[in-house]
Amino acid sequence: MREVVEENGKILRGYGLEGSGCSLPAGQEGGDFFEFISCNEGSVFIVIGDVMGKGFQAARQMEAIRQLVRECIRINPHPLEVVRRLNKLGGYELRKCGSFATLCLLCYDGITGRLTCVNAGHHPPLLLSNGQVRVVQCWGVAIGLLEDYLGSGAEEFFLADGDAVVLYTDGLVEACGPGEQRYGQERLKRVVRLQNGADAECMKENILADLDTFTRGISQKDDVTLVVMKVTRKAGDMGGD
Amino acid sequence: MEIRVRQEKGMASLEVEGELDFSNVELLQREIQRLPEEVVEVDLQGLQFIDSSGVGMLLSQARIFYKQGRTLRIVRIPSHIQEDLEVIGFFRVLEVLETKPNA
Repeated sequence: MREVVEENGKILRGYGLEGSGCSLPAGQEGGDFFEFISCNEGSVFIVIGDVMGKGFQAARQMEAIRQLVRECIRINPHPLEVVRRLNKLGGYELRKCGSFATLCLLCYDGITGRLTCVNAGHHPPLLLSNGQVRVVQCWGVAIGLLEDYLGSGAEEFFLADGDAVVLYTDGLVEACGPGEQRYGQERLKRVVRLQNGADAECMKENILADLDTFTRGISQKDDVTLVVMKVTRKAGDMGGD
Repeated sequence: MEIRVRQEKGMASLEVEGELDFSNVELLQREIQRLPEEVVEVDLQGLQFIDSSGVGMLLSQARIFYKQGRTLRIVRIPSHIQEDLEVIGFFRVLEVLETKPNA
């Protein structure tokens, strides 16, 4: 995997995928995060999360959860087990502070093209395939809210060359424009549909540009994090770089 | 944010209006905590915005109430807020708390 880290974003190339993401904090320190994590030669994890609250405490808890995700993947890389373990290990600390974290975890197998999704209280990903957008029907309770993780389990899909997946935090769909209108999932779906054929970086930039157009410079209350991943080669062509 | 408190025999209702977020969440928490009634309703009909700090506080208070054998009800939730709470798993947590008071 080749991962390029920019100021507030990252680019991934490898596993027959290209990924591009960025996180725009509303204040000085945010509670959002995203990661591309190599698992083995054939598969990679894509994780997006949002820790409750703002400021130093949220940023500190976010960093702890980010480290814990890596540790849980190292112990047992089965996506559902990663989230269950994360809820056990990190959930107690979050609950003690009256806090919680939402998280969506994807695991892409570059050999077979299989994408596994586990959700913990996060907005589900959007899947763009052949010009059609659908919302992945995968739900779960946020990390730290219950002792045991509760959700729909691990959902699996097979992605074809050109298919793309969009992950985002609530700061994007709840962004306000003039008149307190919210950006909303329907507008996001429309913009994503128009990106058919574009590369991951371009998709990300176009979605952010549309968000800018919508908000017209109004300052936002919440962090915005957006990750786009796109299959660039046919499944089976390659593993990780 | 504005909070109106109504107390009747054995029950209290807090009507919350405006925006509940990181900056004012402690105010509502203190109001909930100072009420001695066995059943406390938090009426969100006038709420325009809630952030994750507000959601976390309501669930923490619900957990404390259930442990005390009392009931915290979150009622009349505006539809746009209802959708956000469903994503997080808010209502599933309340269901679990009701069936397992020590959760």
